[in-house]
Formats: sequence, structure tokens, C-alpha cells
Amino acid sequence: MKRLRVSLGLLALSLLATGAARAAVSAQIVSPTADMPIFGKTEVKVAVSATEAVTRVEVFVNGKLVGTATQAPWTVTFEAGDQNVKREIKAVVHAASGATATHSVVTAPVQIDDQLDLRLQQLFVTVTRGQARTLDLGENDFRVYDNGKAQQLITFGRGELPLTAVLLLDTSESMQGERIQAARRGATTFLNGLKDVDEASVVLFSDRLLRATPFVFDKKVLLRALGETEATGGTAVNDFLYMSLKMLEPRVGRRVVILLSDGSDVHSVVPMSEVLWKARTGQAMIYWIQLDESKHRSYVSSWRSVEENDVEYKTLVKAVEESGGRIEKISAIGELEGAFQAILQELREQYVLGYYPSEMKKDGRWHEVKVDVQRSGVRARTRDGYLDF
Amino acid sequence: MISMMIWKARARAAIAGALLCAAPLAVSAQAPSEDPFGGAVTATDVSGQVKRPAGRRADVDAIQSRYRKILAAWAEGQTARAAVDLMALETSVVTDEDPTTRKQLLKAEQAVIHEVGAANLETLVPIAMLHHETYRRYLAEGARGHAVVLGHARAMTRDLAILYREQSGSEGAALVSSRILTSLGGMLQQAAQQLPAADMFQLAAEMDPRNTAALLGLATVFEKNARYEAAVDALRHLIAADPEHAEGKLRLAVNLHRLGQIQEATTLLQGLTTAPADDWVAALAAQELAGLQREKGNLDGARKVLEAALERFPNDPRFYVQLAAVLDRAGQTRSAQDLMEKVLTVQPAPETAARFLYNTIRDETFQAARRFLDENAQSRLSVLAQALDTPNKASVAVGVAG
Repeated sequence: MKRLRVSLGLLALSLLATGAARAAVSAQIVSPTADMPIFGKTEVKVAVSATEAVTRVEVFVNGKLVGTATQAPWTVTFEAGDQNVKREIKAVVHAASGATATHSVVTAPVQIDDQLDLRLQQLFVTVTRGQARTLDLGENDFRVYDNGKAQQLITFGRGELPLTAVLLLDTSESMQGERIQAARRGATTFLNGLKDVDEASVVLFSDRLLRATPFVFDKKVLLRALGETEATGGTAVNDFLYMSLKMLEPRVGRRVVILLSDGSDVHSVVPMSEVLWKARTGQAMIYWIQLDESKHRSYVSSWRSVEENDVEYKTLVKAVEESGGRIEKISAIGELEGAFQAILQELREQYVLGYYPSEMKKDGRWHEVKVDVQRSGVRARTRDGYLDF
Repeated sequence: MISMMIWKARARAAIAGALLCAAPLAVSAQAPSEDPFGGAVTATDVSGQVKRPAGRRADVDAIQSRYRKILAAWAEGQTARAAVDLMALETSVVTDEDPTTRKQLLKAEQAVIHEVGAANLETLVPIAMLHHETYRRYLAEGARGHAVVLGHARAMTRDLAILYREQSGSEGAALVSSRILTSLGGMLQQAAQQLPAADMFQLAAEMDPRNTAALLGLATVFEKNARYEAAVDALRHLIAADPEHAEGKLRLAVNLHRLGQIQEATTLLQGLTTAPADDWVAALAAQELAGLQREKGNLDGARKVLEAALERFPNDPRFYVQLAAVLDRAGQTRSAQDLMEKVLTVQPAPETAARFLYNTIRDETFQAARRFLDENAQSRLSVLAQALDTPNKASVAVGVAG
């Protein structure tokens, strides 16, 4: 059964007004709220109510003073940084008489919490007009339908949510020479483009697992994993794509597999139908940078006939498309680096829509998802649906 | 399935061709216009009765002379020199642009072969191995622009093997010829020439029904061409010849599974997971057995097979992934997740993965056959030297260099 486990800390607002009862002064942090992560430049807005003059409002983050406002509007801006960590934001209002009032908001990093089982469906939506992405849409521009029924959006955001990525790189014999060098350059570009809050794992495979890192923030670890590896052996896309999706399963937020391969699986033990099932039960997107001049050629092996291999290939395409990712076809090896960059840019520019499906029966059935944008001439792409588990 | 009838008919044609060589004077007038071997050693001019265009006589004589020297070098054990010289000779005579040039080469080589073969039939074995070695080298070098000469080397090896078998008629000759064809089939298979490879394996298996390498090669060709019933047939012959052949049993089980014969496949796979077998065979048997249980809906059975396999192969990431997939289907997602955490701590095994080996033409399959040939060719070098009236100083192995 697939469940989205959301941290209580993300949803709960901690309202701790202390001292206000004794004084004729009170405070409330209006922004930020606790239901969204805080990164980068952050503005803290404090609503102050007082029967006497207020001299200043101090804002503390994790106990450290980050700014003081001496007049209304009571606003302090500070740099939160990119770390996905718990933060306590506290505002202290000082009145002329010496009375004070405080109010705190606690945010927390995204984490697993088994106590809360919320089946929030998150949709990562790429909106385009022609070749260009549309970036100025608001929450009200979107309509989400789950099995044909309109859904109420609970969360809305764009782009800057932390990313958890698996870079799944085919280093089989067909990648020898310039190809593997170009793959390394492209992957390096992608990793260097990640922010400090983004996590990634590097997985190199052929017909066997050659190297795999856990999810880490540290780019040095990831870049080191890309180091010299001989391109050798056959290809087992299914097995290691399944592994990657499974690795992403307990993570929350925006999850993505970037697969670099010609897609010609020969040696997997797990059929692609199982990978498709795994993709449908999860919320990870699959982006496939498809090598080999964008052409799928039928082939035979001791494991599968031509027809069976064709079915495997088509099922992989289906898994990618249903996941809301896409296939980036490469006709020349020189395009690889740009392909990685384009995918990262796309991920940064996606809208993130969250809703609680109005009808969940845990019956394993397919829910078709559709996103409409209330603006003419634009196209929205997201996952096709999910299995109700 | 390639019919046994067709093969037997071809074998009979081969025999007829061989007989032509045995009695050239008597039958040359009746020689068929089309060579039943496809033009290798059966058309005969050893009697000198075949008329040639006047201007080409000298060429053929020169080729014969060079070929004789090459055979002499081969008989002396100068493996590399003889093979390289033969390649130089053949590529200087035969061109892809004019395939008829092959006839000139063929006649010249034929004349010498008939001469030394008439002196002693056993000379055919080392000569076949010289052409076998030449073919191997052509393949290794790519033979770009030399397709005709590549085909010539292959046809010479094949036809000499058949000729030797039919002329000798002995069991020993059948064993030797069968292995020449098996080795040739292995090279063809590695060059991705599946159907010619099947031809060789089939002929080899007919000459020696206990030739397990030929039967295995034949089964793998059928398997790659999705002819699973034919593969099963070949593999049953293989198991009959060697009941302990683990790879044969594995492939038989995999193909029976494809044909829906689940019970027999299950029994074979269970036997392989418990009996001593090569690691790659045992690993694959466990994977396939678990897959079979999974298909039957027996998730618990699949889990048990994979957990046992993980005890034997704790560093094989594939078992972690396969077991995770089974546990996911069983709703044990947390346990499946634990496996994904463990797999990241595994030091991946450096050896080639089992599934890769199954899909690969491995030299090991043909090593025994080639060793056998080396020994047999070696022991006949002195005979060849004698037939060529050349002192025998053989000291190196022939036939399967590299």
C-alpha cells in the first residue's frame, strides 16, 4: 500500500503566545506559515496589537537574533539559507512600558512520520506554451480532476521545492568511449546544478550494479561516484530502475529518476511490467535521456524474443510518460550535457499541486488524473494517474 | 525446427561429394556440374583431366606451390607463419569484386589436398585445422573487404571435416570431425551468424550424438531465435548424453517454462538450487525458480527461494531487487525498503553477472572440443610432413591458437 507520510511538523502550526496575557500587547507571526518550507531570503511579518507604544519587534531564528523592526509594518527579512532543517522563528514585541509579547512558528524539514497517514497526492506540473514554459500561473489557474471529479487544491507552489533525484546511468559496453565521457560531463552538470537542499544518489549499472551511493546532499560524494568506470557488460534497465523507484519511495516531496540509457534491456530479472506497477504506486517522475539516435531497434536475446523485447521497450515508454516525466531523445552525443541541464531547469520550473483525493478506496484501482489550466494556448503535463493503495 | 531429414539429406550429399574425391579417375566424367559442398574440396582436378584455360595454368601452379610450402610450415609447427601466409595467399588471389576468383584458389588448394590426402587420409585433420585457424584469424581481424575469402576458409574447414569423416568411416574420425564442426560453429555463433552456426552444430551432433558442446550450441541458437521446442529437443539429447550437465538442465528448465511445462521446469530448477553447480548456474536457477513461483502467485514460495539465494549470494544486488519486488507485491513494503538500504552497502561482486553469461557465447563451451582437436592435429603433423616429404619439426600446438 502506498501512503504519503507527511511530517506533523509541516502541517501543524505552533501557536505559542507567552507573556501576552499579562501585558496589553500581543503578537502573531503572519508570515511565514508553518506549512511550507523556508529557504533563501525570507520575510517575517508580525501583526502587533498594543494599547501603548511599541518600540521594536525582534525576530529570532533558532534562538539567534536575525533582525529588528522599529516601526510598522513590523517586518524583518533574513537569509534562511538552503538547508532543509527545522527552524523556530520567534517574534518578540517590546512595548514602551517594558511589557513584551512573543509568538513562535516552528517549521520542520520534510521527514517520515508513521503516525500520520495522509494520502496527499502531489502533482508536478510542467506548463508550456509552444516550446516555452509558462511561469506566471497562480493557484486559481489550475483545475485538478481525479477520476473525473474536481479536487480541491491543498498546497500550491512552484519550482523551489527540494528535489530528491536518482541519477541512473547505463555504463554498459554500448557506452564505451566518448559516450561515457559525455555521460559523466552531463551528470556532473546536473549535480552541480543541485541546490544544497537537494539530495541525490548516483547509480551506475550495466547488467549488474557497478556503483551506488545513498542519498546525500554532499556533491563531492556524488561527483566522486561518477569517477572512472569502465563501460562493460550488458544492460539491465528494469532491475535498476525498479531499485531506483524503490529507493525514492520513502522520500517525500519532489522525487525523480534521471535514466540515461539506450533503453535496450537484455539482462533484467524483473519484468518492465513490475517497474510500471512500481511507478504507478509511487510518485516519482522518470526522465529518460534516450541515447542511440532516438531509434528503438528490435533485438533478440536468450532471455526474450523480438516481440517480448518490443513489449518491454513500450512498457518503459509508458512508465516514463505516466510518471509525468518525459523522454529526452539524443541524436548526437554532444547534446547530452544540454539534456541534463534542460531537465534540471524543467524541474525547477514545475508547479506543485497537492490535494487529498475525494474518493480513496485502497482497492488498487487506477485513478486517472487530469490537470487543466485556465489559460488558452497552454499545455500542462503531469503524471497520468496513480494506483489506489 | 530445422528438420533432421534435411540434415540427413545434406549429409548424404556430403558423402557423395567425398566419394568423388576418393575415386577421381573413375567418376570425374560424371562429376556433377554443381558441387554438393558449395564448391570447396569436392570438385576434383587431381587427375589433371579437368581442362583449364591455357593462360591460367601458371597461376594455379604458383598457388599450388605456395600452398604446399604453407602446409609444410604448418607441419613444422610454425602455426602463426603458416596461417598468416595462407591468408596472404588467399587474399591475393580472391577478391570480393570477382567472386569467381575463388575457383582458381580452390582448384589449386584442392589439387594439393588430394595429393597428400591420397598419401594418407589422416593429413586431412591438420589441413582442416590450418583452415580453421585461418578462419579464426579472418574473424578476429574483421576480414573487411574479404567476405569471399572468409566464406572460403569456413567452407574449406567444414568440407575437410566432412571429407575426413566420410572417407575414414571410423568412430575416431567421427569424433574428430564432429569437434572441428563444433569449434567452427562456436566461432560462427560468436560472429553472430546464428543459422550457419546451427548448421555446423547439427552436423556435428549427427556425427557424434554425445557431443554436448554441439548440442548446447544448437540449443542456444534455437533459443535465440525463439524456437523453444527445438531448443528443448536439443537439450533433452544433451541431458541424455550427460545427465549431470548443469547448464543444460538450466536451459532446459528455462525453455520448458516458456512452453508452459511448469512442473518439469520447477523440478529441474529446484534440483539446481540444491545440488552443487557453478555459481552462475545456481544463481540463475534461483532467479528463474522465484520468477516461476511469482508467476504462479506463490509469493511466499518466491520469497523463500530468494532468501535462500541471498544466503549463498549475499553480494548479488539482483537478488535484493528481485526479493524487494516480491515483497512489494506481498504488501511488505517496509521489508522491501530495508532491502534497498542493504543493497547500497553491498560490495558488488566483480564477476560477470549470471544473466549476462546465459546470453553470451562462452569460449568455455568449446574449450574441450578445441583441446581435443589440438591433440589430434598435433599427433598428425608428422603424417602431413611425410606426405609433403617435409621433415617434421612440430613443437607447437596447432589449430586453436588464442
